[in-house]
Amino acid sequence: MSFLSSIQGISHELFGADTTRPPQELQNFREAAQAWKADRPQALGEVARTGAPSFSDVMSGLVEGVQEKHTIAREETRKILSGESTNLHQSVIAGQEASVAFTLMVEVRNKLVEAYQELMRMQV
Amino acid sequence: MINLIPGMQTTADALNVERVRMDIISQNIANAHTTKDANGDVYQRKQVAFEAYLQDSNGVDHPQRGVRVAAIENDPRPGQVVYQPGHPHADAEGMVTLPNVELSREMVDMITSSRAYEANLSVVKTARQMAMQALSIGK
Repeated sequence: MSFLSSIQGISHELFGADTTRPPQELQNFREAAQAWKADRPQALGEVARTGAPSFSDVMSGLVEGVQEKHTIAREETRKILSGESTNLHQSVIAGQEASVAFTLMVEVRNKLVEAYQELMRMQV
Repeated sequence: MINLIPGMQTTADALNVERVRMDIISQNIANAHTTKDANGDVYQRKQVAFEAYLQDSNGVDHPQRGVRVAAIENDPRPGQVVYQPGHPHADAEGMVTLPNVELSREMVDMITSSRAYEANLSVVKTARQMAMQALSIGK
């Protein structure tokens, strides 16, 4: 491996080397490290993504959606209560939307938990 | 997240519009005997006109047509002119112009508006039921 040998070269070269310019072995080492990194774009420790959304993506998407709808429903109700808007049906419909989205999220969670429990019940 | 209950934006528009119509009807009935309007003339009956408009697609392939109020205009027909010389708003000859509001017509409009509001509300209820039934497939 070229950069390992260049590291060995550095330990020879650093003593008494010209300090204004990095030694040639250090330069080689840097170039080899960059070439290695270019091959693998993700940082060390990251799992390579296959492209399909994972369960955590789906769940966090649902939670964000429910949160958004809940905020809209709260805003509409606030407008009714403060007198800014006279459209009562708007806040009721927004409340229903939030409720349906929440039920959807709960159903998805139930299915995931059921699947997990099914897996755990398998005999090894 | 996309709207889970189908057709809600359109129905909300329709409910808004029927509310505006009810507002105008209540204004007409309240001013059925008003001989002087804010602008000095006798009160003229107001009527609303609705128009459809294309809603933003939002990812749906068939953009829906919502409804909105196009205009709130005066009914130009002149009202009854009666002879009442003692009336505070009588002109030089003692004639008073009454508003052209017919109570029976306003009541019929009110029934129409109320039924239209109910119809849209039942659309909301049914659409919500459909969504909840779809979610109960997995139960």
